[in-house]
Amino acid sequence: MTVETAQSRALDLVPFGAAQFPSLRQLRPVLLPVATAGTVLLLWQAVCLVFRIPHVILPAPTEIAGELWRILPTLLKEAIPTTLDSVASFCLASGLGVGLAIVLTYSPLLRDTLYPNLVAFQLVPKVALAPLFVVWLGITSESRIAFSTFASFFPVVISAAVGFEGADASTLRLCRSLTATDWQSFRLVRFPFALPAIFSGMKIAMTMSVIGVIIGEFISAKAGLGFYILYASSRMETAAIFAALFVLCMIGAALYGAVALAERHVRRHYGRR
Amino acid sequence: MPDSFVQNRVPAAATTQCVEVIEVSKIYHGGTQNAVEAVSSVNFSVPHGQFVAILGPSGCGKSTLLMMVGGLEAVTTGRIEVDGSPMAGPRTSIGIMFQDSTLLPWKSALDNVLFPIKVLKRPVQEYHDNAHALLDRVGLYGFAQKKPHELSGGMRQRVSICRALVYEPNVLLMDEPFSALDAITRDEMNGLLLDLWQQYTKTALFVTHSIREAVMLADRVLVMTQRPATIVEDLTIPFARPREMSIGESREFNEICGHLRERIEHSHFEGRR
Repeated sequence: MTVETAQSRALDLVPFGAAQFPSLRQLRPVLLPVATAGTVLLLWQAVCLVFRIPHVILPAPTEIAGELWRILPTLLKEAIPTTLDSVASFCLASGLGVGLAIVLTYSPLLRDTLYPNLVAFQLVPKVALAPLFVVWLGITSESRIAFSTFASFFPVVISAAVGFEGADASTLRLCRSLTATDWQSFRLVRFPFALPAIFSGMKIAMTMSVIGVIIGEFISAKAGLGFYILYASSRMETAAIFAALFVLCMIGAALYGAVALAERHVRRHYGRR
Repeated sequence: MPDSFVQNRVPAAATTQCVEVIEVSKIYHGGTQNAVEAVSSVNFSVPHGQFVAILGPSGCGKSTLLMMVGGLEAVTTGRIEVDGSPMAGPRTSIGIMFQDSTLLPWKSALDNVLFPIKVLKRPVQEYHDNAHALLDRVGLYGFAQKKPHELSGGMRQRVSICRALVYEPNVLLMDEPFSALDAITRDEMNGLLLDLWQQYTKTALFVTHSIREAVMLADRVLVMTQRPATIVEDLTIPFARPREMSIGESREFNEICGHLRERIEHSHFEGRR
């Protein structure tokens, strides 16, 4: 009995990819969500078949899969501008967010001036401002990137500012006692301490960037997945809408996953344990 | 005019005194509340190479006093001179050890020891041997590449001792460096510090609220009390160096401790009345 528990414990400790098969308990975080999604899909399929729901209202998963396969080349082509714009606005939002957080951290005057306005400004529903960007910047890709950046930079500012403030006070005092310059204590202490916080802001920004770009494409684009969804809906091609949504989900997951992976790497290196 | 009077008087003494604290007071103006006098006209001087303990109950302003000597806090009135020149801010000739080890969690023990060298922009390579020697000296042979989370509390504080010594400051200020450690580890660290002192004799100011620790380590004990926050006793400790931890069992040692305890309790009581 005791030997068995010891063995199963040892198994738990074996890193992934080791010779042993992973135990059921180890697979749980993967199995449970996959099983749930599978069940929902099955129910969906069953409901469509049993109640004979019209394709235009709700196509069955199998139909969507067929449609996805058929129009995949088109979808992938449309996915390119959407992905590029999302990545661009994510990068801009991250850079802008961290930059603004640095300004807020180092200038009490600017913090007192800007911070309340920044928060108040967030109360404006940003989607409602999308048409303004068309008025100001036209219907180019830059206009959509600008809107999406605007919609997604806020979480980075907040989390980075919190991270910079949260850097260990006595370590900063140590820097001061060593006559470190502001730039040195920022580079060597504040920034590394804030990295985990910055990344949690960046993860939110990544999802919001994709949303921002899709909204932009709804309004002004001649290409992209957002544009394609509108186009398909105007032709009542519901299965195509779902197929486009699926591709969009995959892109979102991949982009979010990339940021999360980078975060894990950074946390392993810089996390305080 | 008292300033110029002091300046005229000091140069003769400056050759022998390393730290001079002259009529120093610190007053905090806490918002609308009445001003709090954290340190009240303190006077003392420390000759080169002497180890002085500042002993007092928590919250009596002894840490504030130490931070003023280190240039991390401004004095409200009076002046502090180190090596004959008045303190205007932190100096690299003064090393400070804080209550917690303040190690950077993402750097190895060795890199943490070398952190001041990096901040001071000295050639890190030249200090490698010195850093290794210090780590060996404090019993951390083979732990140079370990991260702080892999070390015990005592080991972390040892790393921070090495970090305070590596860039060879003339004066070492220690702000209750062992108060976060358990009693056994603390004794161990006291023994280590006694040992280190035989090798690296430096001028030292050591703030503590432990009477035994003060008597064990110091050449001289200054007793500081609250209300008024000033020094009420200046006692020379008669034990010769090198010292063994076993002096702690001697009658003389315990008599000195008893006297100091009485002094602290007495002035505490006086202050309450």
